[in-house]
Amino acid sequence: MIQISELRKNFNGNRALDAFSLEVAEGELFGLVGPNGAGKTTLIKTLATLIKPSSGSVRIAGMDVQENRDAVKQITGYLPDQPGVYQDMRLREFLQFFADAFHVDRERQSPVIESALRRAGLADRSDAFVEELSFGLKQRLVLAKTLLHNPKVLLLDEPATGLDPIARLDLRRELQQLNAEGVTILISSHILSDLEDICTRVALISNGKNAADADGNQIIQLRRAAAPTQIYEVEVLGSIENALQATTSVFTATVLKAENSRLLVQLAGSKAEAAALLQSLIAAGVQVASFAPRSTTLEERYQKAFGGTKP
Amino acid sequence: MNPMIRKELNLRMRERRGWILPSLYLVVLGAVVTLAYYLSALENRRVQGAEVGVAIFITAAYTQMAILLLLAPIFSAGSLTIEKEQRTFASLLTSLLTPFQIWFGKFAASLLFVLLLIVIGIPVLSISFAFGGIGPWEVFIAIITTVIALGAFNAIGLYWSSVFRRSVHATAVTYATVIALTVVTFIIFIIEISVWREGRSWADFPWSMKLPLYLNPVFFLTMSFAPPRHLFPEWVRCLGVFVFLGLLATGLTLWNLRRSGEVA
Repeated sequence: MIQISELRKNFNGNRALDAFSLEVAEGELFGLVGPNGAGKTTLIKTLATLIKPSSGSVRIAGMDVQENRDAVKQITGYLPDQPGVYQDMRLREFLQFFADAFHVDRERQSPVIESALRRAGLADRSDAFVEELSFGLKQRLVLAKTLLHNPKVLLLDEPATGLDPIARLDLRRELQQLNAEGVTILISSHILSDLEDICTRVALISNGKNAADADGNQIIQLRRAAAPTQIYEVEVLGSIENALQATTSVFTATVLKAENSRLLVQLAGSKAEAAALLQSLIAAGVQVASFAPRSTTLEERYQKAFGGTKP
Repeated sequence: MNPMIRKELNLRMRERRGWILPSLYLVVLGAVVTLAYYLSALENRRVQGAEVGVAIFITAAYTQMAILLLLAPIFSAGSLTIEKEQRTFASLLTSLLTPFQIWFGKFAASLLFVLLLIVIGIPVLSISFAFGGIGPWEVFIAIITTVIALGAFNAIGLYWSSVFRRSVHATAVTYATVIALTVVTFIIFIIEISVWREGRSWADFPWSMKLPLYLNPVFFLTMSFAPPRHLFPEWVRCLGVFVFLGLLATGLTLWNLRRSGEVA
């Protein structure tokens, strides 16, 4: 659905994007992570037709975003990092203005606006002025406005910034719902745990380039997708020699690390393999103090990729 | 109807200045006309007559132009910068509104507010009918001239609004442009005629020497007081210059809007 190839953008001699490439499949909820100034906003603005690339190709649904700006705008919804509102407008007027601006048919406008207000949980405040809303509710209103024309692709630039935990959870649920309805979503965020919980894959960006984590992955496959392997951390009492011996009896097990009383064992993804390993350890007389799956969190990968700095 | 125009008018009329400015405008215009009446009556030793009517009309027309030149930057220079300041500019640019629709919505809303002021000022200008010496034609051509000059200044204000990110900067530069075209052009002309040695009448001045005045809205208004058959060439030249300025500013604004995604 989104294809970015060798994208470069220069601002007054400074390179904001440097040969960045990315592919997002239709129906994906894809994350974009990188430190401040990495080029996330420039990338999303380029996809939203706001910024003209210096070179490279950017396509949405097979269309070049600069050559087919109107067609791309018709299927794209863009939520900027600091979404703005018209404070002196009533909520309904605000949505009506953008329904007009997105050429929503006059006959369809009323139901579309009612539905947007209901979805945003603002139906009972439709005649209130926008300035009366809290930051979180304004964010909901702007997201509702972004969805008025039923976009197939959503481009969200740090949408959770400034939201309280409840509003953040609401946003997360809303994005998951939209994704379940078939909307392709590209979301950039500093809140790594938010991306980890909802995204299928995450791309790393640093200095405008594709970055890789410590394992060399430019795209990180997150837990929701079927992981090919699972790492287990085993802590034993006494010597680990018996434990190492017992581990070799499990066909799919590979010992990654063994030091003091702890073992890191990589197993094929199924829980049956984990049960077999535990059974084998106990059968060999190993006193198992703890046995738990260990996943590398996105945050850990991020810290490894960007030198331990956490955004 | 262009959704931008509806939105702009809606928001403008909700602002406190939506009714304060027209009220102040009428108070000032009324006060100046009253003063002009007393001064003219005193000078002519008559309380009515063509001299009084002409004096009232000319004073009201110049005052109206001066007030509107002071107010025009307030309406136009902040039009696009306010969208940048309240971070709604990106939403406009990523909607299906074309740059022309965005520009036209802003331009029409600014000009319509100026027109509102002009329309509510017509009864004040028309007081001169009661004294004689002034007919509907004079009022009509003075209003048309004011609208064209203000339209050009609106377009210039919108251009500066498309250049800057902050309303305060765009408004300051628009005021500087108003001063340059009303005061500086006049001073340049005065300097030119002070060093000119080949005749003192208007007909003796070469076209290039008159050029600064063609850019001057007060001169443009003055030329509109000429009888209809004498509107050519000076009023027509001024008209051409102001239409050109307006179109140039419009073209540059549209060009800026097409490439302004980076500052949105």
